[in-house]
Amino acid sequence: MMTFAPLLLVFLPLVAAAVSFALPERLSSWRNAANLGVAFTKLLVVAYLLNATEAGLVFEWRYEFLPDNDLVLRLDKLALLFVTLSVFLWLMTTIYAIAYFDRGPNLSRFFGFFNLCVLAATGVAMSGTAITFFLFYELLTLATWPLVAHKGDDKSLRAGRIYLSYTLAGSVAFLAGILWLQSLVGAIEFAAPPDLTGIPALTLTLIFILCIGGLGVKAAIFPLHGWLPEAMAAPAPVSALLHAVAVVKAGAFGIVRMIYDVYGIGTVADLGLGLPLAALASVTILYGSVRALMQTDLKKRLAYSTVSQVSYIILGASLIGPYAVIGGLVHLVHQGIMKITLFMCAGALANRMGIKAIADLDGAGRLMPVTMAAFSVGALGMIGLPPVAGFISKWYLGIGALQSDAAWVVAVLAGSSLLNAAYFLPLLYRAWLLPPPADRPAIRELATTRDRMLILPAAVTALVSLGAGIFASLPFSPLAWVTLIAEGGYLR
Amino acid sequence: MTADLSLLLPLAVLWPMLLASLSLLPGWGPRMVTLLPLGPLPGLAAAVITPRDTPVALPGILLDGGLELTGTGALFLGGAALLWFWAGVYAAFYLRHDGRPTSFALFWNLVLAGNLGVFIAADIISFYVFFALVSLLAYPLVIHDRKPASMRAGTVYLVLAVLGEVAILVGLMLASYGAGGAIGIEAVRAALALPSTHPAALGLLIAGFGIKAGLMPLHVWLPVAHPAAPVPASAVLSGAIVKAGIFGLVAFLPLGTPALGAGTVLMILAFTGLFLAALLALGQAGAKSVLAYSTVSQMGLVMGVLGYALAQGSAPATLLPALALFTLHHGLAKGALFLGVGLAPTCGRAWRWGLMAVLAVLGLSLAGGPLLAGALVKSALKDPAGALGATLIGLSALTTALAMARYLAVLPRSKPRHRPPVLMALAFLALAGAALWLPWLLYADLADKSPLATDLRAQITDAWPLGLAVLLIAGAAAVGLKPPALPEGDALGPVQRRAAALTVAARAAMRAGSRSLRRSRPKPQTVIAEDLDRVEDIFREGAAAAILLLAVTGAILASVLI
Repeated sequence: MMTFAPLLLVFLPLVAAAVSFALPERLSSWRNAANLGVAFTKLLVVAYLLNATEAGLVFEWRYEFLPDNDLVLRLDKLALLFVTLSVFLWLMTTIYAIAYFDRGPNLSRFFGFFNLCVLAATGVAMSGTAITFFLFYELLTLATWPLVAHKGDDKSLRAGRIYLSYTLAGSVAFLAGILWLQSLVGAIEFAAPPDLTGIPALTLTLIFILCIGGLGVKAAIFPLHGWLPEAMAAPAPVSALLHAVAVVKAGAFGIVRMIYDVYGIGTVADLGLGLPLAALASVTILYGSVRALMQTDLKKRLAYSTVSQVSYIILGASLIGPYAVIGGLVHLVHQGIMKITLFMCAGALANRMGIKAIADLDGAGRLMPVTMAAFSVGALGMIGLPPVAGFISKWYLGIGALQSDAAWVVAVLAGSSLLNAAYFLPLLYRAWLLPPPADRPAIRELATTRDRMLILPAAVTALVSLGAGIFASLPFSPLAWVTLIAEGGYLR
Repeated sequence: MTADLSLLLPLAVLWPMLLASLSLLPGWGPRMVTLLPLGPLPGLAAAVITPRDTPVALPGILLDGGLELTGTGALFLGGAALLWFWAGVYAAFYLRHDGRPTSFALFWNLVLAGNLGVFIAADIISFYVFFALVSLLAYPLVIHDRKPASMRAGTVYLVLAVLGEVAILVGLMLASYGAGGAIGIEAVRAALALPSTHPAALGLLIAGFGIKAGLMPLHVWLPVAHPAAPVPASAVLSGAIVKAGIFGLVAFLPLGTPALGAGTVLMILAFTGLFLAALLALGQAGAKSVLAYSTVSQMGLVMGVLGYALAQGSAPATLLPALALFTLHHGLAKGALFLGVGLAPTCGRAWRWGLMAVLAVLGLSLAGGPLLAGALVKSALKDPAGALGATLIGLSALTTALAMARYLAVLPRSKPRHRPPVLMALAFLALAGAALWLPWLLYADLADKSPLATDLRAQITDAWPLGLAVLLIAGAAAVGLKPPALPEGDALGPVQRRAAALTVAARAAMRAGSRSLRRSRPKPQTVIAEDLDRVEDIFREGAAAAILLLAVTGAILASVLI
């Protein structure tokens, strides 16, 4: 078990992918059963691993891939944080996707790539060397493209093209960065950070810029965020996974690895790279919020909100203080569960009532109360209102900024809170307080076609976002786990 | 046994939350409206029998939060719970045929939980959570009837509430950092007195709590929101929810260490409010708006004394008992006055005179009429207020009395041959009785002397501004003088108009400036959004090239450097 656990986590989605590709469309119920079964099994495995890892075990699998360049899958606490998030949200999204698509076309292809995408995200999380990371990172790029372009219309294909041109170019920059660094220090293992002494500061700075620039494409840092709002052409389950865990988080996670496990916070501080990155993240936070405010389309508003929120993670990582690290990493989880709630709700609204524009939201709360209640929890959490989880992230980021002598960041956080309130509260106002337009289906009519599985996942993630805030200090809460990570070496 | 009693503290907030969740059960809305009075009972019991200053840890909740009942907190808690109870009795009858029972019961109970929680939180995170509950979730109570005026009032309320939340959050962050990351309220309060703490922390907290407590230029939500809400909701808004802001100041102002700047500013603003709000009340046409302005005025008195104490560095022990007693009296009396507004239409004939008599006594008590509870609490507050403060408090009897006369004059007309409903009348009388009696009961405990030992003769001689008020009122009535009609929310109108004008001007400027950039596109978007869309499109098309260029430049630089 010690060495095979990481392999098992990669192997399970592969099974689901193979089954999904192999089964013809008419056997969709078998395919659904296989997908759900595997997702659930993986959740059980992760539950076991969480317990074992908390007790101090580290699972590692190693394979010599190229001379001196091992493929390493290593389950440290940080990896497990991301793995747990992706496995949980994967299960939720699978349930949701089955209800959302029902019997649409090309679903074998969809679920196949969907599983490959999750495999890649898990691999990114567990990668123990820079090369392993890169391989899974690329697999993620490629496995996501068919999902983004799933609908196959002009808009989706354009979105897919833009997505590829951004991310592939980013990958080239990232690859150039790690190869350059490897040519100087040899293979980069995250568990044993390379010795960077003796390398000129300018070189290190350039490599840092290449790597962060490359990773920043997926993390949608301004001005590299352009692909994300376009990718809204994808179906709702894809958007949900894309924004919550798969793609943007892989980029953010890579940046955390670069700062803490490759360069080390000492070197980043010596080179003076933390502050510019924090400034860039702050610009992204405010820019994303302002752009979100300007959108008239619901999913686009949520997309720009992601641009803004993901940069909280980068902000936390780049501020280099104990609380800031905790705030950034815990937001990796919190943003995931809150944003997936919002997207699943937006998808349900579009699916059931054809609501796409914000102006169509009027009266949605009366017609779909559970969906809108979940949406409201997610939205309030994004604003940072307690006791939803987003507040915990914001609190730690704020104190962390002060610890790093960056009081201006607190102003950024306050401004972002106000902007978030300005673009989320009107949605809630419309949905709950304005009467529905006359052409909406009646409540009774809706009730006859209700599919509980379309609403259940969002309701669960909304409750989890509430729980992660209210019970933030319980063992195994995101905050408690992140605190363990930070104490285990990120506070040096 | 003490352990068991301290469990009442978590129960005080969990119980209303449970009731709130029950009201979500399909069809349970009307039933939960009937059960509204149950919500504050554990809180009321806690205020009476829970041991003071005994922390109750809540491990695992929020950031390992806790609850604790301080002596001052107990007075706030008891007063608020009592008001919520009787307002709940009143509401159970008043809203028995209401069209939105679920919404009312849900948010009533949640706001109640937050309101009581604010008084017993031991750490700033729990405090902030409760404060957000009471502050933001009162919005649905304000807009309960969904009339256009209520919706406008609700928007004003919500905007100011969100601004207040953010100000408090940032203030708490700065203060907590000053305390080395500690989150206990006492540690944070101590840190606010340290010179090393960011100076903005105190200002932001005063502004944030000042919004809730109606500090003068930030008070504009009060006179529009209180009249909009249903009568029992106005009563708790004005009597209990506003007190959450006062308690925030009590909990966090670092009394005992002179903070001359912040204290003086607070004192000047608050004492200005004390007089100005009472004068503005005279121009109001609605009884609830008059009461709302009167609340601004009375809270100005409390905050003025707090500001003076902050500037002077007076020890909290000299001030807080008197201050808590004053707010207790004000909360109960103001609650009863609000309930009276709803009662007035139902009181025909002789009932009308009875109602007017009780209301007049309450109003006189608020103004500090001699031998009434109000005079007792005011005289207790004069000592810590300093010479100037004591004079101002004495003079304020004049304006308060005028405002109360205005209230009685604009009270809704009665329908003839109506009798007041028993439950509503009972709630009203109980609150009025508690307002007049409780200060006498509690005074001995707090001041270590019997209320009868105070200088009763001085109370009578100090009441000369009241006599002047009576003369003025009589004179005005004799010549038929009418006050000018002022809009609710005084400064709000011009501000809103100016904001609207600014928005229009900014839009026009943007449109003119960006006309050159714009192709005509039939999209319902703002001009600047379209332009940014175009810029992002340009980026999108060239993104791959730009990023590759970055990589190549990096590679070339690399080969040069190595």
